[in-house]
Amino acid sequence: MAVHSSSRAANRVLLVLGLALLAALLTLDLASVAPNRILPGEGVSLWAWLGPWSASVWAFPLLVMAFAWRGSARALVLARVVVVAALALLPWVLAAFAASRVPDASSQARVTLGAGFWVLLFLLLMCWVELHARLRHGLWLVLLPLLSLGLALTQGHLESLALIREYASRSDAFHAALRYHLLLVSAAVGLSLLLAFALALAMRRFPSLRRGGFALLSLIQTIPSLALFGLLLAPLAWLAARYAWLGELGVQGIGWAPALIALVGYSLLPMTRNSVVALDGVDPRVVEAARGMGMSPAQVFWRVRLPLAAPVILEGIRITTVQAVGLAAVAALIGAGGLGTFIFQGLGQAAMDLVLLGALPILALAVAADSLLSALARLTRRQPGREAR
Amino acid sequence: MSETPRIALKAVTKRFGAETAVDAISLDIAAGEFCVLVGTSGCGKSTTLRMINRLIEHSDGEIHIDGQPIREIDPQRLRRRIGYAIQSTGLFPHWTVARNIALVPGLLKWSRARTRERVEELMDLLGLAPSEFADKYPAQLSGGQAQRVGVARALAADPEILLMDEPFGALDPITRESLQEELRRLQGRIRKTIVFVTHDMDEALKLADRLVVMRAGRIVQQGSPDELLAAPADDFVTSLLGGRDRGLKRAALTPVARLMRRVDAGLPVEPAVAPDEDLRLALSVMLWHRVECLAVVDGRGRVCGSLHLSDLMRAGI
Repeated sequence: MAVHSSSRAANRVLLVLGLALLAALLTLDLASVAPNRILPGEGVSLWAWLGPWSASVWAFPLLVMAFAWRGSARALVLARVVVVAALALLPWVLAAFAASRVPDASSQARVTLGAGFWVLLFLLLMCWVELHARLRHGLWLVLLPLLSLGLALTQGHLESLALIREYASRSDAFHAALRYHLLLVSAAVGLSLLLAFALALAMRRFPSLRRGGFALLSLIQTIPSLALFGLLLAPLAWLAARYAWLGELGVQGIGWAPALIALVGYSLLPMTRNSVVALDGVDPRVVEAARGMGMSPAQVFWRVRLPLAAPVILEGIRITTVQAVGLAAVAALIGAGGLGTFIFQGLGQAAMDLVLLGALPILALAVAADSLLSALARLTRRQPGREAR
Repeated sequence: MSETPRIALKAVTKRFGAETAVDAISLDIAAGEFCVLVGTSGCGKSTTLRMINRLIEHSDGEIHIDGQPIREIDPQRLRRRIGYAIQSTGLFPHWTVARNIALVPGLLKWSRARTRERVEELMDLLGLAPSEFADKYPAQLSGGQAQRVGVARALAADPEILLMDEPFGALDPITRESLQEELRRLQGRIRKTIVFVTHDMDEALKLADRLVVMRAGRIVQQGSPDELLAAPADDFVTSLLGGRDRGLKRAALTPVARLMRRVDAGLPVEPAVAPDEDLRLALSVMLWHRVECLAVVDGRGRVCGSLHLSDLMRAGI
């Protein structure tokens, strides 16, 4: 097992995190219970819920701290078992809490996750990251907590959670918003990839384009997103009024059109820069050899330049995608739809759980896109290292 | 020369803007000849080489291959029939060794079986065991191994002509020397027409059938290494040849066999030299052991003659 050489000493990071976990369990409210959507909830701490039994929950941080104190490779592996188990048990703890506090799931009463829960989740994830950096990775570490959560959700054990109640009352709208969000992001990333690649090729052909081109793209990047939407409003409304077919396509001052244009605009800089850097970074001697061997310009491009540039271009796609997932949320403000809708609705109604219904999937999408595209970039990079001298 | 030269340059000029990189040079290279272009950096030797496979288009004059002007040949087709090896190899880092070598056969659409056979043949020829190296990537090779792959790739489609642009320039001296030896031996077997560019005069002297010394875009002198050492055209060639070091350089080109006496003078068999070793080495052995004559011992350990310092002096090598 690949273990850090200094892992013999006590792991201080885990010790501190374990202490913090314990403190959070002792002091913060795990969740609150409200009789309906309007009335504010009443906080419930772990002690208030379980009484002396809550000591059994303290076992988790105490075990983590004990293993962290030992610090040996085996102790860290055991600590990771405890952390992953805690993460996997978390949904079931919530389910048990909900069952005890809201016995009638069909009532309007609901459980809102409290500060204690979020701090707990955050600290457990920090532990997970710390251990992830020191030990060999395994897929089960990610899958087990996710599977556990999925099971708890599908079995209906979390129905009285406020978050789930918000979802249940607008599940159709949620799925439509999710699909729309994904569509908007993929359209923006796809379009900007095409545009940026063409732009990168043009910049390589005509180097004088570079300075002006990058200056313009950087300028777009500095405009705040709301201001950009504002700037696009008038010209798009005018265009839609002037040309009927644009209006028929759904182009107006607000809606998907300005959102897509803004997203593409913001994506162009990272995408173009990475494409240019990637294509510039291909060893000129390799290209020279390829030409000298009798490859046609098209063969040089498709078989040599592009494959060698691919990892850095993919990196650009990754940055752009993660950025677009987040930015698309703001587009909800101009009626472009997507998951941002729930965030702004929730803010308007002071319904934090509705905000979370929009924010959590956006977070999950960003993390998923990031890890997926990183894995893809690693795959294209797999040819070992650079050329030998 | 009665035969058509394999490569003929006729008053070839290359201008980059206002600057003339190559100035009306004429050069005939016969089939099977090992021609080395040598000179300081920026003298136009590399440009000359790259004009032959049209990586650079010549501005004036004509270049013929087997009597045909290269302007009449499609550049890609031309390059596929000319092997090309460059400094630091230019191997494709994302392709395995076998795939790198199979590059030109692939472009020429050889069958898979024929390509594989040829790749293995070349790897054997260059001392790279196919089972060990075929699936490695360039980054996993040493400099010397990578350069062998580079040479194998240049030879893959069995071209008549091989262009080599400082192929050993980035290697350490020991690896470089052994690859030079090997290239010399290889050339003895495959008899390609080789145009080789280097700034290293020792390398040039060791490899060349014909040396072409260039300076500021012009040919200063050409001839066999021996001719150049015997009569350098001017001070530039003299200094390039190592100035006062010339005596030893020339001795390095002459085998012991040429000056040895074919009698057994009853000398001790240690120290001794072999008939195919060079006189520079023999001189060094004499200096080291403070003797004026050496036994010459052949590969089977038999004394086949003796070498005398006085003969070296008289011959004026």
